[in-house]
Amino acid sequence: MRTALLIVALALVAGGCSLGDDGVEEAASARERPAACPAAWKPGWQGLANDVGIRVYCPSWMPSPIDAEIDGQWNSGGVVVGKDKSYLAGFLWHEAGSGDVHVNFRAYPGKTAIPRCIETRTSGGTTRRIEVPCFSDPQGTRQVGDRTVTVYTVSRDADQWHVTYVWRENGTLYTVSEHVAPPLTFRTVLKNLDRIVGGLEAIEPQA
Amino acid sequence: MKLTRKQLLGGAAAGALGAAGIYELVDQLAESPPRAEAGELREEQYLLSGAKVLTHEDVEVIEPPLHHQVVTARLGFEPTRRALLDAQRALEDAIVSIERRYEPSPAGLAVTLAWGLPYFRRVVPDLAARHIPVDRRASTSADRPVSALLDAIRFPSDPETTLLEENQLALLLRSDHREHVADAAQSLFADTDGLFELTSIRKGFQGGGFSGGPGLPKAMATAAGIQGADLIPDGAQLFLGFTSTQRDTQGQSRIASFETLGLVDMREGYFRGGTHMHLSHLFENVEAWYLDFDYRERVDTTFRPGFQAREGAQTLPQAPEDAASQADLEADFAQHGSIGHSGSIQPTSRLQLDIRGADGELYTKGSAIPLRADFNTLDNPFFWSADPERDRQSEQPEAGLHFITFNPSSDDFRRNRLAMDGRLPDGTTFPMQQRSRAQGLNSVLRTTHRQNFLVPPRAHRSFPLVELLG
Repeated sequence: MRTALLIVALALVAGGCSLGDDGVEEAASARERPAACPAAWKPGWQGLANDVGIRVYCPSWMPSPIDAEIDGQWNSGGVVVGKDKSYLAGFLWHEAGSGDVHVNFRAYPGKTAIPRCIETRTSGGTTRRIEVPCFSDPQGTRQVGDRTVTVYTVSRDADQWHVTYVWRENGTLYTVSEHVAPPLTFRTVLKNLDRIVGGLEAIEPQA
Repeated sequence: MKLTRKQLLGGAAAGALGAAGIYELVDQLAESPPRAEAGELREEQYLLSGAKVLTHEDVEVIEPPLHHQVVTARLGFEPTRRALLDAQRALEDAIVSIERRYEPSPAGLAVTLAWGLPYFRRVVPDLAARHIPVDRRASTSADRPVSALLDAIRFPSDPETTLLEENQLALLLRSDHREHVADAAQSLFADTDGLFELTSIRKGFQGGGFSGGPGLPKAMATAAGIQGADLIPDGAQLFLGFTSTQRDTQGQSRIASFETLGLVDMREGYFRGGTHMHLSHLFENVEAWYLDFDYRERVDTTFRPGFQAREGAQTLPQAPEDAASQADLEADFAQHGSIGHSGSIQPTSRLQLDIRGADGELYTKGSAIPLRADFNTLDNPFFWSADPERDRQSEQPEAGLHFITFNPSSDDFRRNRLAMDGRLPDGTTFPMQQRSRAQGLNSVLRTTHRQNFLVPPRAHRSFPLVELLG
C-alpha cells in the first residue's frame, strides 16, 4: 500500500503537478470553448439580466449532478437580488454523508472593490459583528479563455469554504465560486471553475 | 513453523523500524543543511547539539533535523532484579554502540530515552517515589506533594476520543539522515532482543524550506494527496504555514532541565540533568485552515489578535520583550473575543522575571521555558501500531503533528496547554466554545494520543533506578 502510494506520489512530484507562477495550475479544459448557455437555462438568465440591468453570464457547463437552471431543481433558494442590483445565483446538490456540489454566481453592478461581509462571532457571551472582505487570500491571477481572473481561497457568507474566481468588467465585479467539499478536492474545484468560467455566455439585458 | 501473534507482531515491528514508506521522499525533496560542529555528549540527553541557527525573514531560527522517529515500547520480560540489571547493561551497551557510530548532532544522530509512569510504577515503585522530583509550585497549589511526572490528561479542547497512553518507554531519534535513524532503531532493538515489546512507531519530518522551494510540508502533503496540500505556502516549515522554531520560542541552554529554575525539588539528585517530556499526536485539518481562515486570521489565532505581520510572512518574531502578559490576554479577549495560540501560552511559558539558573546562567525575563521537538507527520496516527484497533490505525496518510515538548514538569506543561484553551493558572477563564471556529487554531487540531514521560540524565537513561534495587 505504502509502496503504491510512493509511486503515485513520485509521479505527482515528477509530473510537476504544482500551482505554477501565477499561483494556480493551468487546466487544459479552460481552453476548450464549450457550447453556449443551454436553451432550457437561458430564459432564467435572461430574466436576471433584465432585472439587474447589466450583462450577466450563463454557464454552458456545470459539474454533475447540478445544472444552472434558475428556478430549476438545483437552484439553492432562488436568485437573490439586492437593492443595489447585486445578485447571487446559487446551485446546490447536497446528500448527507456524501457531500455536496455547490456553485455560486455573483455580480456587483457599478462596483469593482471586493465587497465587505459581516461576520458574527460569539465568544464569552458577547456577540461581535465584524466587517471582513467577502473574498480574501488571493492566490494570483490566471487566464481562463480570454478572461483574467483572480483566485481567492477564503470566501464568506454563502461562499464559505468556496474557491472564488473574480474578475472585473465594465465597472462591475463578477464572481463564480465552488465549494471545496467531498466528493470534490481543491484541484477538482479549480478544474471545474476553469471549465465553468471558460464556457460562460454573455446575456445582455433586454429593454 | 507456525508463528505466535507475538512473533508476528515482532516481525512486523522490526520491519517497520527501518522502513521508509512515504518518508523516503524526504531525501529526494530536501537536502541536508550544513551543520555546526557537534559538541560532546551532554549529560542532558534531550538537548540537541550542533543545530544550525539561521536567519529567516529577519528572525533567528533553529533549523531542526529533517528526520524524526519515536518508538514506544513496554518491557518484554519479567522484571526481576537480576533480569533488570542485565537489561540495563544490554540497553546501555546498545546505545553506546550507536553513539560510537554517529556523532551527537543532526548530521549524525541524536538519541533520547524517556520513561513513562507505567515503568516506574511496575518496576521501581518505591525508588520512584523517593527519587522522582517533586514539583514545588504544583505542590503549593495542591497543598500536597505533586510529582514532576504525572499521568497525562485530556484538555478541554481535546475530543473524548483522545487516548491517554501507558507506554513504559519512548525512544526519540533525530537526524538529517534517514538511514542513521533506521540503523539506530533496528540495531538498538535487535541488540536488546526480548527486552521490549514495541507498541508504536511514529515517523515524520520537519523543515527543508528555508533555502527556497516548496518546502517539505507542502511537497510531502502534495505527494501524499492530503486535502488542501496545494494551499500550503511555499517554503513553510510546518503544514500550518508558520515557523515554530524561532530561537526565542525555544527554551535555551538547560532552562528546561528539572533543576535549572528551581521549579522542582530534586530530592537526592538522581534525575539532575533530566527533564519532563510530553508526547502527543494530533491531526491537522489543512484544508479547513487555509479555506476558512485568511492570512490575517491565521496570524491572529496563531500569535495574537492584531499581531503585526507582513502579508505572507511565515517566520514572525517572538522576542522575550514582546511576550504577552496575562493583562494583554485579558485585553485581547475583551476587545476581540479571542486569544492567540502563542500569546495565550506566553504568560505561563515565559519567565516572568530574570532568574539565575542552577547552571549559573542568567535567564532573562520573557525567555521561553519549554523546548519543542515536534515534527510533521503523515502517519495515521502512527507509522506502525501493535494495537491498530485501539489506535485507529490507517494506511491512508493524514496531515498531523507528533508533538514533543520538554518542560521542567508535567504540571508546567499542563499550565501551558490549559492556557491555550483559555484557562490560566490563577483561575481566570476565557469562555470559549472548545474547538469552535472562534478558537481559531484549536478548531483545526484533533489530538488522538497523549502521554507524559521522564527523560533521565544520560548517566541514568537505561532502566533508571534499577541499579538501586535492594
